[in-house]
Amino acid sequence: MNSNVWILTFSDAISIATTLILATLGAILTERSGVINLGVEGILLMGAVTAFLVSDGTGNLWLALFLSVLVGVAMSAVHATLTITLRANQIVAGLALVIFGNGLSQFIGKPVEGKTRPVTIEPMKLGPLSDIPVLGPILFGHDIFTYLTWAGALVCSLYLNRTRPGLVLRATGDAPATVDAQGVSVAMIRFVHTILGGALMGLAGGWFMLARGTAWSQSATTNGIGWIALSLVVFAAWRPLRAIAGAVLFGFTLQVPFTLQGQQINILPPEIVQMLPYVATLFVLVMLSTPRARRLLGAPKMLGQPFVRDER
Amino acid sequence: MIIGNYRIELEPRLSTPKWLYAAVPALSLLFAFVVGGVFIGLTGHSPIGTLSLLIERGYASTKGITNTLGSATPLICTGLAAAFAFRMNLFNIGEEGQMYLGMIGSAWAGIVLAGHLPGFVAVPMVLLFGALCGALWVLLPAVLRAKLGTSEIVSSLLLNYVALNLVNYFIFGSRGIFRDPTTSFPQGRLIEESARLGSFGTTRTYPTVLIAVALAIGLYWFMKRSNYGYETSVFADSPNTARYAGMSSTKLTLSVLLFSGALAGLAGSMYVVGPAGKVDPGLLQIGLGYAGIVVAALARYNFVAVILTAILFAGLREGGASLQISSNPVPISIAVVLQGSVLLFALGGEVFRRNRLRIRRVQQVSVAS
Repeated sequence: MNSNVWILTFSDAISIATTLILATLGAILTERSGVINLGVEGILLMGAVTAFLVSDGTGNLWLALFLSVLVGVAMSAVHATLTITLRANQIVAGLALVIFGNGLSQFIGKPVEGKTRPVTIEPMKLGPLSDIPVLGPILFGHDIFTYLTWAGALVCSLYLNRTRPGLVLRATGDAPATVDAQGVSVAMIRFVHTILGGALMGLAGGWFMLARGTAWSQSATTNGIGWIALSLVVFAAWRPLRAIAGAVLFGFTLQVPFTLQGQQINILPPEIVQMLPYVATLFVLVMLSTPRARRLLGAPKMLGQPFVRDER
Repeated sequence: MIIGNYRIELEPRLSTPKWLYAAVPALSLLFAFVVGGVFIGLTGHSPIGTLSLLIERGYASTKGITNTLGSATPLICTGLAAAFAFRMNLFNIGEEGQMYLGMIGSAWAGIVLAGHLPGFVAVPMVLLFGALCGALWVLLPAVLRAKLGTSEIVSSLLLNYVALNLVNYFIFGSRGIFRDPTTSFPQGRLIEESARLGSFGTTRTYPTVLIAVALAIGLYWFMKRSNYGYETSVFADSPNTARYAGMSSTKLTLSVLLFSGALAGLAGSMYVVGPAGKVDPGLLQIGLGYAGIVVAALARYNFVAVILTAILFAGLREGGASLQISSNPVPISIAVVLQGSVLLFALGGEVFRRNRLRIRRVQQVSVAS
């Protein structure tokens, strides 16, 4: 096996990480406000099918991505209305979104199933940087969204830790009653961030379809990436910058089965190798469950708890 | 919330009128049909024509209703599995994978052990092995949750993907015991004839439906009457109270999750002793495990109501499948769209069952400057 293959694998891992980072950032913003949105997988699928259908119909990449974002906004708004306004169970509402997104993406995507992707988000050259041996293709051979996503993680991190609205957001997840006592609407903060998170998840789905997917297929396009993103939130300890590192790691586990198959390396049957990303995610979750790891993690204290003023 | 001169508030009801218990699911279903109708219309089919055909072929003919009962059978089991765990606030969403493992376990017992046994021993044994394997598949999430407090939600779900690849491996990736040795076409090996049940007459309803219904009623009765049922409901309402009263949260968590896994595994077994007779990768596409969660939520985790919601959902699926057979087929996924929408509306509707909407006029307080 030559080293080019592994350079390509690392490069692909970083590329796939873009979707994971976007979805994880979305989930982090949502969960920091105290709302857990399990619907990530459903939103990713809907974002992906929307991007496919729109770009297939219009050939316009930007319109396709924009509508993916809108779909993410709409679906997370449903989640927000159900869980924040109507105080429905957040877990079940998220699952309902997954089932709904599964069905609807398959339904509206049926006519184009198996069709090849109409437009592609092209990687861009970063001048001499891309020509550095090994590092060049791994780090500097991606499309604009990959770099924007890294910047996005940095912005999220600064927002959470260095700004006043970020402080209010963190407080809403940890101690909503205090925020309420300050005269800030807990429901409003939660609504805004759930929807912002949904927008990022929609973009994650749309980008994945147009940059990584080859053809639309409901069962094969996202393949559980949404659930991996949810585990990544825990892995990243609800911190945006750590999400980058985690996403690259998980992106690698997602890419390795393809590399092994492409190289005809049959140490293990392909079906067993396909389990790798899920088993790796599980393993990480187990590692993070030790009491020591838990203390260091610091999940939002009121995650998943609806806030009702009278019941304080 | 204040809009204009009106204050809109949700106020908890002290008592719920009886009709609301039926009205919320019924209205959810109606609204879901509207949402489904919109998407059917958007894809260029007649919404009313399609939906009435779906209802007719799902429930309103002998063939339709017996097919529906047949596919409701495993769905009742996954529904019970979800209801059993969810009502204790344990969100086992790995029913899908547990069901696949049930299928694998049953097929193994049916091929290896059932050889010379009479049917009345072989069938229960095959069912039992499926249930055991289903329980085994939830063991890791259950232990993590009980001992370390790790959320069972993501861990149980991730195992679905592992189980899916495991079934694919047994059928497509290897030539092991589960694969039919007589043909090069990748398909499951049939279990011993003595371990299988025939359907009622020419229908597609199998005697396993009676087991599923009996289980639902038995569970309802057991959880209402037994000490164990009482302990789980105390634990669900207030883990602290339960702990103070000396109940072991570890034991309760473990037992509830394992039993939930066993019920989901049983769904796979019923598929094996009934229609399939083998490990059938076709089951992977149906999503009975995920549908079980919706069925349970719609039944508000009431075991007896699960029977009804499972039949309702199976009818949507059977009706949806029959829409495929036409010159201009409506994709079967419309059934999943309907299921997802029903659940979303039911969740919203639940709030109006528990609370009353109060709209009051309020005086605008003008601030003197």
